[in-house]
Order: sequence, then structure tokens, then C-alpha cells
Amino acid sequence: MSQQRDTDAQSLQRPEFVVRKERLYRRLLAGCAALTIAVTLGIILSLSGGALTFFGEVSIVKFLTGTNWSPLVGTPEYGVLPLVSGTLIIVVGSAVVALPIGLGAAIYLSEYADPRVRAVAKPALEILAGVPTVIYGYFALVYLTPILDAPLPIEQVIIPSWLGFSVPIIPSWLTFSVPIIPGGVPLLPEFTLVVSEFTLVVSEFVFVIPSLGAFNALSASITVGIMIIPMVSSISEDAMSAVPDSLREAAYGLGSTKFDVSTSVVVPAATSGIVSSYVLALSRAIGETMIVTMAAGQSPKMPYFPNVLQNFTDSVEVMTAAIIKIVSAESLGQTATYESMFAIGLTLFVLTLAMNIIAELVRRRFREAY
Amino acid sequence: MATKPETGESIRRERRFSLKEIKGKAFEGILVAATLVGIAALLVLFGYMFFDAVRPLTASAEWYLLFFATLVAPTSAFALYSRRHPAVRRMNARAFAAVFGGLAISLAAWVVFSATGPHGLLLYVLLASISPLAVAGYGKYVERSMFVGPAMVVVTLVVLLWTLGSEVLVFALFDLVGLLFGWIPVLGSLRPPVAPSILVTAVSTGGPTLAVLLYLLRRDSSRRSFAFVPVVAALSGLGTAGFDFWLQPTVDLLPDWVAYLGLVCLPVAAVVAVVVARRAAVRQGLTAGGAVIAGNLAVGVIALALSVDPSFWVVLFSGAVVPVGYVVGDAVVANRKGRVGLLGPFVLIGGVLFGALLEDVINATGPDTWITPTLLLSTWNGIEPTQAGAYAEIVGSIMIVSVMALMSFPVGVGAAIYLEEYAPETGPAGRFANFIEINIANLAGVPSVVYGILGLALFNNFLDFPPGIVISAGATLGLLILPIVIVSAQEAIRSVPDSLRRGSYGMGASRWQTLRNVVLPEAVPGILTGTILALGRAIGETAPLIVIAVPVRTSTPSGLFDSGAAVPLRIFASAANAIPAYRKGVLAALAVVLLALMLTMNAVAIVLRNRYQTDGN
Repeated sequence: MSQQRDTDAQSLQRPEFVVRKERLYRRLLAGCAALTIAVTLGIILSLSGGALTFFGEVSIVKFLTGTNWSPLVGTPEYGVLPLVSGTLIIVVGSAVVALPIGLGAAIYLSEYADPRVRAVAKPALEILAGVPTVIYGYFALVYLTPILDAPLPIEQVIIPSWLGFSVPIIPSWLTFSVPIIPGGVPLLPEFTLVVSEFTLVVSEFVFVIPSLGAFNALSASITVGIMIIPMVSSISEDAMSAVPDSLREAAYGLGSTKFDVSTSVVVPAATSGIVSSYVLALSRAIGETMIVTMAAGQSPKMPYFPNVLQNFTDSVEVMTAAIIKIVSAESLGQTATYESMFAIGLTLFVLTLAMNIIAELVRRRFREAY
Repeated sequence: MATKPETGESIRRERRFSLKEIKGKAFEGILVAATLVGIAALLVLFGYMFFDAVRPLTASAEWYLLFFATLVAPTSAFALYSRRHPAVRRMNARAFAAVFGGLAISLAAWVVFSATGPHGLLLYVLLASISPLAVAGYGKYVERSMFVGPAMVVVTLVVLLWTLGSEVLVFALFDLVGLLFGWIPVLGSLRPPVAPSILVTAVSTGGPTLAVLLYLLRRDSSRRSFAFVPVVAALSGLGTAGFDFWLQPTVDLLPDWVAYLGLVCLPVAAVVAVVVARRAAVRQGLTAGGAVIAGNLAVGVIALALSVDPSFWVVLFSGAVVPVGYVVGDAVVANRKGRVGLLGPFVLIGGVLFGALLEDVINATGPDTWITPTLLLSTWNGIEPTQAGAYAEIVGSIMIVSVMALMSFPVGVGAAIYLEEYAPETGPAGRFANFIEINIANLAGVPSVVYGILGLALFNNFLDFPPGIVISAGATLGLLILPIVIVSAQEAIRSVPDSLRRGSYGMGASRWQTLRNVVLPEAVPGILTGTILALGRAIGETAPLIVIAVPVRTSTPSGLFDSGAAVPLRIFASAANAIPAYRKGVLAALAVVLLALMLTMNAVAIVLRNRYQTDGN
């Protein structure tokens, strides 16, 4: 019996050549997969190699705490904080645009839209993420900034003159007292004093947005926000669709309306997915290069403090734009300025990597398993 | 029974004015608005650029009338007709794919080949194809031909590497010998007794031959396998020595159009022959392939007789006329259902031509658009906006995208196959695979400018390539899209049902056979969809190209090792131009071209996916 089985096993054995061929193919394919690790290693090595040389010349503490970034003019100074704050301004601006809109779109697509609407709307939204960023940058610089910069009332911009009439978007009675930028509100100690002054001069304030520069953070951050809407909406929508129907049915059974189900059942159950989509979208905003380089300009500065809105009307420089600026500069050779690019790249890489890992951890840790 | 509708009524009446109802409606309204904001932003973006690029208000009313009468009306009538007949619609889709796909591919091939010159490329195609063909032929001749698959891959790689590297190796050996023995008085002054070219030939032919001979002797192989020895000798001689001293001069002697015949017509003929042979019989396949070659020769001879350079017409014939002919022939011979659908693209083209003719006759003024032949076919002009074009950038973009696709597609699909089909769940190999998956997810989130720095460090600094050449641009972007390609290929492979795999295993197929014959054919549309989407995204990538110092140039790149050019770089470089004709004219037109390209690629990918999904069900 056992003899029989042995010969059977032998005849079932593949010829040695076939076995070796299979092994060859498996190794080739595993090599392809291992190449991705080589890419990561390459990124880390190339960034840290340049960054180490840079930190040999400029101390790492000075780099991380310096408030002046001027690598190309006069005595170079390498403080990364202005660049980080510029990035932060863009991220905050784009978050204001993208997070609510993306979440709203996700809830609509997952809970309200009928399948035919969703089949059209979801790919249409995803096109937004595929538009080349250089076109977004061009749009922000050439089209969006002049629109935002047009003197209010807005109707001159929105309603073409050939229609022959104008609809006031901002009714004239509203323009009496909306101090958008009250010429620099002083810090807290004089606060009460300011308020009294403030009430006195109210009548002189009109609805003014300080005029935008040709390069400004506002149009750049709005455009970045538009670009990352689909990241938020797609990933959040996936998370909401994964919430089992039994939860919804139970809520309906208790007499809930669709509003109740969406806000108190689906959104809480999908929180981990929503938060991770937020983090991923913001990490994309941090790494975005062309929009901010083209539309936000290249003048690094520390943020204006109490007068926060002015940060958006002025030009800023973000980390990615600083890299582009250094690369585009003529014949730097192996100077500290050239190496500083690697240090910024490393900062950027660590920042986005940390955010991606956080997003993944949030998704895993707080995922409700059904 | 009678109370039931009443209670329903009362509940509804009660809820009509409830606060909850209003709140729910308001909430829904906000959600719809949020969704619409995104889509509206897209429309505004396209709308502004399109308006400035095309300037639709400058056309006269007659022109619009003509436009609708000759183009919109016939095509929409045809579309409505084909919607109601599924067979017609399918045929229509195939005809569109053949006509416009063929046109696009042959034009892209033409601009790239004419920029780089056909001879060098032909040489590499010959080198890369002769040896696997020889192996395949040998495999047909012997009975046990299991080795053919791996041998073809290995032989191609070895021949290419050996051809490009053997000369370097021989001269490096000379240097080494000189370094080691140069100090000995007599030996140092000795020169090799023969010309270096012959020495290179001898070494590069003898090396592999000897290696194979020794291998066979040691393994005590059958007498039959010694047939390999002359094959290897011939191949390595041809591939290396022949390359420099025989093949290259011969190829360089060929007139341009003959080189194009070899470069375009022969591969197309081979593909047609194989496809027809699979569907019908070998003999018919050979006839079809022969017909393609004969047609090409006829085109060449006619063009020569008219004293026109036949190169372009040969490429156009092979790339566009042959696929259209194949689809038409197929519809006439095999799939007679819905033949009317073939007319679809010709209704469109005929409408355009007829409209253009009538436009001249009745003197209608069309829109004063910026999207003109000049924009696509001439190089940049910084002084005269109406003369400015982006031909060099378009050629550069096509070259970069081709390099990118060639590099990322095989590696990406290979990695996806490993992760989905081979990698175990547990053990060290399982942990390895898990680590790779996490790594890929993280790579997808790395900013593109960081990939640019990688390209800068790897190609410009480490490998010491000249800055911004086509091949380093393509490779950098290839690394950038690698994670996207891998993830989408993984999804496509995962969606192949397990029952198919089990069926294949049950019939005794090995893992690789199952992959090649069952899994991959099922997964190909999905893999292609993901790859096309990734390429469409990478076409507009700018930041990495700036970092690796791709220049903004006005002449076409003359090869893979010449500095590249790309359309998005031109947009970036000129966006700050203050002259309105550039700022809101030429650039808007370029942006529209780039967007149209991206949208077309997306549409192709979506159509492919839908078709695949309906076929799967």
C-alpha cells in the first residue's frame, strides 16, 4: 500500500525543471515587490545624506527654531519656521474649504443620493483630484486672484455688464460695520480701550477686504482646498458605506428621521474613517507644490499675529516652494543653500510620513468592527 | 381595515409642519450644496479656461448654425440610433477605438520617432527581438519546450546587457591588465597583436560560448543540447561584435522609410498575424501579416512614385489604417451584426470635413481660437503669441510618459502579482509581504517634490547623468506612480474569482501556468485601467521635473539621453508672463490641451472598466 502511494507521489511530482522555473518566476516577482522598499530606502538615504551635510554646517537647533529664511540673499540664514508657518497657513485655509465640503459631499453620496446620481457625482468629484496641479496653480494665479481682488460689492464681478442690471450680493445696508481688518487690533491689555474706540469709529468702517497681492495665500489655499475635496469625500464615503445597514434600520425602527440617522448613527460609526481621511487630505495639502509655488509666491515670513486675516492676503512661502526656488537658482554648486533643500525635504517627508501613519493608526485603533 | 389609511394620513399630516421635517430638508439642502460646490468648482475651472482658449463669442451665428448642422446634428442622431441597438453600439465603440486610438498612437509614434531618428531605435528593437525569436523557433523544433518562456526573458536581458556592456568590460580588462603588469618593462610596452575591434569581438563571442560549453560538459547533458553552443556563439557574435561593426553600419545605410518599415510595420504585421492565427488558422494569420507588409510596401512605392517622403505615410498606414481595416474586415467577415455601427467615426470625421468645406464656401467666421495647428505643431515663440506653439514640449511629454509606462508597468504588475498570488500570510515571508504593503501605502503619500529630490540625488548626482534628461525624468515619474500602479493591479488581481484558480489547479496547472493562462487574462482590463489613470495623473506632474532640472526648451529632445521637455513646465514657466495674449490666450489653450488629454485618458480608463465589468457578469 505504502509502496503504491510512494510511486503515486513520485509521478505527481513535477519535473525538476518546472520546479526550478516556478522558483525563478517567484523570485523575479518578489524582486519587483522588494524594489518598493529600495525606493523608500533611496528616498531616506538621499534626503538624509544631503541633510547631514547641511547640519554639519548649520546647527539643527538653529534650523528648527530660526525665524528668518533667506538662503539666497546676503548672508544666508536658514530658519525653517517661516516656511513651516507658511505651510500651516495654507493647510488651515484649505482645511476650512475642504473638510466641511468634503464631509457634506460624503454624507450626501452615502446616505441621500440615489445610485444614479452617485454614479455620476462620485467620478465627477474625483476628477478634481486628477487635474494637474500646475493647472490649478495657473487658475489660482491668473483667474482666482483677480476675482477675489475685485472691489466689492461683488455684483460687478458676478453679473456680466451685458445683462444690463446688477443684483447686489451684499446689500448696501449691510456694509456699515463689518470690520474685517480693523487696522491691527492691539494685544489683550488694551483690549477694553480698543473696544470703546472701536464703537466710536464703527460708522467709518465699510466692508473692505484688504487688497490682495498678485501672490497671496488666500487663492492658493482655496485652490488647494478644492483639490483635496475628493480625498475627504471619497475616503469618508467609503467609511460610511461600510457602516452596516442593520444599524440604520434599528435607528429608523426607533422613529429616527434620515437626519438623525446620518448625524447620530452613520457619522459617529464612521468617525475613524472620516478622521483618517482628514489627516490624509491635510498631508496632501502639506506636500502640494505647484499651486502654492505659483499662486502664493515666494516671500517667507513669520505669521502676523493678532491680525490673522492679513496672513491670507499676503504672499507666503511654503516648504515645497522653497525647494523649487533653491533648485531653480542658478549654479549653486555644493553650498549650504543647495544642501538646505535636502533638509527641508527631510522635514517634509517626516511630517507627511507621520501624518500618514497617524491616519492609519486612527483607522485601525478606532475602527468599529462589525 | 378602513382605519389604516386614516392613521397613515394623520401621521403624514402631523409630520408635514414639524420642525424635524424642516431640519431634515435644510440638512439635505446643505449636503447637496456641498456636493455641488465641488462639481461647480470643476465647471468654473474648465469654463474660464475654455472661454479664454476658444473664445466662442468671436464666431458668427452662421458658423454656429453650420457647426450644429454638419457636426452636432448628425453625430447625435447617430448616437441616439445606436443607443437603441446594442449590437450597433458595440460596433460603434470598436470603430471609435480603432480609428481614434489608431490615429493617436500612430501620430504619437511618428512625433517621437521623427524626433529621435528611426535608425537607433530600430537597432535596439532588432537586438531585443532577434534572440527571443531564435529561442522560440528552437523551442518549436524540439519536443520538450518547457524552457522557452524563461529562456526568452533571460536571453533578451543577457543580450541587451552584454551588447551594451561587453565593450566597456573588455576595455576595463585592458586597463586592469595595464595597471597590474604595466610596471614590468617588456610586458608594459607590449600591445595587443590585433585591432581592439577584433579583440572585443573575440571576447564577447567567445565568453558566452565557452560558458555554455563548460556548463553543458559539466552537467553531462544530452548530445542534443549541444545544439545550443553554435546558437549562443552566433547570437553573442551578432549581438555584440556585430552591433558595432556590422549591424549598426548596415542599419544606418537604410533609407528612413525602410527603417520605419522595420520599426513599425513588422511589429504590427506580427501582431495582426498572431491575432488572426489565434482566431482562425495559421495560414490565414500568415496571409493577413503578409497583406499588412504588402500594403505598407505599396504605400511606400506610391509615395516614392509621387516623390513624397513615404515615412509618415508608412507609420500612419501601419498605426491607423491597419487596425481600422482589421475591425472593418472582422465586421464584414465574422461579426455581421450591427455593421452600421462602423459608420460612427466617419459620420464625425465627414461632418468636420464637410463643415470646413462649407465654412469656406459661405464665408462663415469661426471662433478666433487659440487652439490652432500652430499651437500643436510649431515651437515656442516668446515675441509673437500667434506663432507660439508647444511642439517640443508635446514630444517631450510623450517620450517621458512612454519611458514611465515602460518602467512602472512591468515592475508594478510584478509586485502586485507577488503580493496577491505568492506572498504567504504567515512566517517571515508573510511579514516581509506585510511590510511591503505598509511601505507601498506610505510611498503613495510621499509628496511629489520629494520624489524629485530622490531623482536628483539618484540620477543627477549619484549616476552623474546630465541634468534633466528624458530617461531620468521618465524614471523619476515612474517611481512616483509605482505605488498607484501596484495598488490598482492588486485590486484587479484580487477581483478574479477564486473558483477560476481552483479550476486551473485542479487540472494540474502550476502556479505560474494558472497566473499566465487564467488570472492575468481576467485581470488585464482592470490593471490597464489603473495604469492609464496613473499615467494620466503623471502627465501633469511638474514639481519633480523642476527638481531634476528638466529645462524649458524650444527644440525637440533628440533621444532618451537628451534633455527633456514637458507641457506642464511650459505652463509653469510662462504663467507669470504679463502679456495678456500669453497669460490668458496661449497658456489657457495649453492648459485646455493638457486637461483634454487627462480627461480623455480618464474616459478611456472608465470605458475599459465598464466594459470589463459587464463582460465579467
